[in-house]
Amino acid sequence: MALHSVETVLRPSTLEEAWEEKAKRGESARFLAGGIDVVLYTPPTVTTLIDLGGLDLGFVRADEGALEIGATASMTQIIEAPAVGGYLGGFLGTALRYVASPLQRNAATLGGTIAMAHPWSDVIPALLVLDAEVILFDGGERTVSLEAFLGERGTGRESHPLICGIRLPAATEGAGGAYRSLTRTAFDVSLLNAACVGSIDDGSWQDVRLAIGGTPALARRVRGVEETIAGADVSEEAIAEAADAAAAAIDARDDLRASAEYRRELAAVLVRRCLSEVAGTSEGRAA
Amino acid sequence: MRVSLTINGATRDVEAGAGDTLLEVLRREGVMGVKKGCGTGDCGACAVLLNGRAVNSCLVLIAKCAGAEILTVEGLARDGELHPLQTAFLEEGAVQCGYCTPGMMMSAIDLLTRNPDPTEEEIRTAISGNLCRCTGYEKQVLAIRKAAERMRGEGDE
Repeated sequence: MALHSVETVLRPSTLEEAWEEKAKRGESARFLAGGIDVVLYTPPTVTTLIDLGGLDLGFVRADEGALEIGATASMTQIIEAPAVGGYLGGFLGTALRYVASPLQRNAATLGGTIAMAHPWSDVIPALLVLDAEVILFDGGERTVSLEAFLGERGTGRESHPLICGIRLPAATEGAGGAYRSLTRTAFDVSLLNAACVGSIDDGSWQDVRLAIGGTPALARRVRGVEETIAGADVSEEAIAEAADAAAAAIDARDDLRASAEYRRELAAVLVRRCLSEVAGTSEGRAA
Repeated sequence: MRVSLTINGATRDVEAGAGDTLLEVLRREGVMGVKKGCGTGDCGACAVLLNGRAVNSCLVLIAKCAGAEILTVEGLARDGELHPLQTAFLEEGAVQCGYCTPGMMMSAIDLLTRNPDPTEEEIRTAISGNLCRCTGYEKQVLAIRKAAERMRGEGDE
């Protein structure tokens, strides 16, 4: 449906201009990237949209092992980029293929996804385990960890800077990633999802990062389990223990899609499958 | 606002509200193959190609379409000849009530442009954003596969 309150769409050509227009208008203006959530969720108090399409933020590029992805790059662009395919065995693309449908992935952008931070997001858990940093602009450019940026939401301390993109640090050599999500239909949002990145050295776990989302709250790292599993031998028992601990650690709640009890069961299974895949066990390959 | 864009090969200069969606503008311009179903990006009946990629036109603002090339189901036939995808849909019985057909075809065009020989799974993924309440999807999958064969110069013709 048309956004009847919108009177003006600006298309700035510099970050400074975009930021100034937003600062001038405050809550009556919204940034516009792909536009999906703008169409779906813009309140009628918004009269101006600031289109980021002229800012050259559609890039997906490798930089000495690190990855930089611009805010207006679409999910499809990211999935299809060779640089993403070559990063951690294409882990990020695997997660992004869970997002809605190809029709939406062709329009949905990275910046929009981070700005909205829907609790069911398939993108955010994957970015959290990649230790993503968000590149922001609010008069000057600054970089903060995605985890810190999301952590400020709803605290009253949050700012609403212009999201320029993300930077994913170079992956550890030999590290692997796995992503799992369960949905009621191919299109529906996650009942729960899990993302894992880690590596194995001499038969033991190194630097394991685990995030669980759709609990139904926004994805968070499960640091207690990350710390417990680090250094442990890679075995089915260790994987099962870590999966059960992760399931116990999440803030599982009921909503219209699933009960808290079901979500805990699901968390254990999805985490076990993620860890198994990273460990290269037969269950990981099969599931 | 005035927006200039190309719809099925013809350049048009349209007058639109700043908050109008591409779907609303297309239908006002008489491009009725584009259907409004849910208006929330769930059903895919409004799918069109925007600069070569299939999108839900109900979720695209017209303000993003300046200079864009739009292809809808009306732009598939050439010189009175149906597109191989349209022929295959008819032959396989992939059209029943027909409401989902235009959107389904645009998702299929996006796929076949990039992947001339898709697997069944790739076809099913490509149309996963297009709801059909008649066919159970089997017929469309068969039709898209048949169209792919013909577009590659294989098949029975």
